Parts: sequence; C-alpha cells; structure tokens
Amino acid sequence: MSHHALSITCPNRLAAIGKAAELIEVFGAAHGLSPEVVFKLTLALDEVVTNIISHAYDDEDEHQIAIRVALDGEGVSVRVEDDGRAFNPLDVPRPDLGLDLAKRPIGGLGVHIVRSVMDALEYRREDDRNILVMRKRTGDGSNEGARRIE
Amino acid sequence: MEITEQKSTGVVTLRLSGRLDTTTAQAFEDTILGRIESGERRVVIDLAQLDYISSAGLRVIVLAGKRLSAANGRMVLCSLKDRVREVFDIAGFSSIFSIYGSHDDATRGLQA
Repeated sequence: MSHHALSITCPNRLAAIGKAAELIEVFGAAHGLSPEVVFKLTLALDEVVTNIISHAYDDEDEHQIAIRVALDGEGVSVRVEDDGRAFNPLDVPRPDLGLDLAKRPIGGLGVHIVRSVMDALEYRREDDRNILVMRKRTGDGSNEGARRIE
Repeated sequence: MEITEQKSTGVVTLRLSGRLDTTTAQAFEDTILGRIESGERRVVIDLAQLDYISSAGLRVIVLAGKRLSAANGRMVLCSLKDRVREVFDIAGFSSIFSIYGSHDDATRGLQA
C-alpha cells in the first residue's frame, strides 16, 4: 500500500526539519490523522532529526536522513535512518523530573519527549546505519478488536 | 519566531510568537540572558502567541530560570496554548516554574 506511505529525504541541516514536518502535516491531513497525532509525530521527528544533525556526524559533509511515514492497521509508524555514528536513543536514561530547578540539568529532554509522545520505539544498527522506528496508535481504540487481514 | 519586549514597574515581559525550536532557540537565549545580564530580575515569559516548543526551547527556559534564581531574581510564565502546555507537562515544568493563566496574574504573582 505504497500510497499510504510518505518518503522524505532530509539533508542534515536544521532548517530542513521544518520542511519535513510540513510534508507530514499534509500527509496526515490527507489520510485523516487527527491534528493531535500529527502534532506528536512532527514533534518526535523534530527531536530525533535535531539529535542526528547536531550529534551524529564527525565531518562537515552533507548527509541524507531518510524518513518514511507509513500507515497500517494499528496506526502510523515513522522510520528514521541515518549514516551517522551509532546512537541508540533507548539507551538514554530517563530524566528525573522530581528534581528542583537548581538541580535540573540544562537540556537533555529531547528523547524523553519522543518516548512520551510515541507509543513504541525500536532501534537497530544495520550496515553502519542507525534505524529508529517510532510507532503511534491512532483512532479511539475502537479498531483494536478488528484485526486487519494482511 | 518573534520576541517583543515590554517593561513596566520593574517587570520585563518577553512575548514569544511562532515556533520555539532548534532554529529559533538561540535568539531567545541571547535575548533573555542579555536582559538578565543587564540587571533585570523579574521576568514574565508570555507564551500566548507561541504555537510550538521543542526541547531546544525548554532548555533555554531552564537555563534562564537557573540564572535568575542564582541572581535572586524570578521568572514566571503565562498563557500557554494547549500544545505548549502538553510539552511543559511532559517535561514536568509545572513543579519547577510558576505558570499563570494570564499576563495580569503572572505580573501579580511575580510581585507578590
């Protein structure tokens, strides 16, 4: 069902993230995703791609980050693939939100946001590439009993 | 993102509009740290026109809050839109910052 998927190639420039988010907004609207779901997808993508662009590359070269958004019977998945250094966001420790302001670290909330707005994250390192798949369930849950026949 | 400033009775208000993300956070950081450096000690961050915030924006808010606290100053925030409020809640900001529903309440809270 290729028409239920969107592929984006995003260069490693921070200014390009907004363009990718816009494409996802258009895709989401065209496929009936709620504004709430689209907001969470674009926020998670912003955090993930910002991390890649800011930390993954040792050189000043241009790199391409491959983003694929796909709908399936249970919701939407966002797959992000980059050729930067190995980084598993699932290894990032959860922040202690109980600390008072003086003890709070400056920054370090990006991965926590991604975990919070998405329902599941999977990471693997394959052929010197990082592959992160984020999943978000959609709908009101009424389709949970209705298994899709593939 | 745009930042507009207003000062009255010892309180400086920074009003943010648009998107506070990685591409705009530096401008906000420069502005607010500049005000703290030039002696402002009571700051309201008015987010009534802010549509979007990512962790890059949260970072600057934590940084500015720490600087002000260390200088015996105080920063409060007001008028968050739902999407911004959602991100604040994820970050647990309601337990480390005073957040008001309106600018008037924020100013009063700051002066109390």
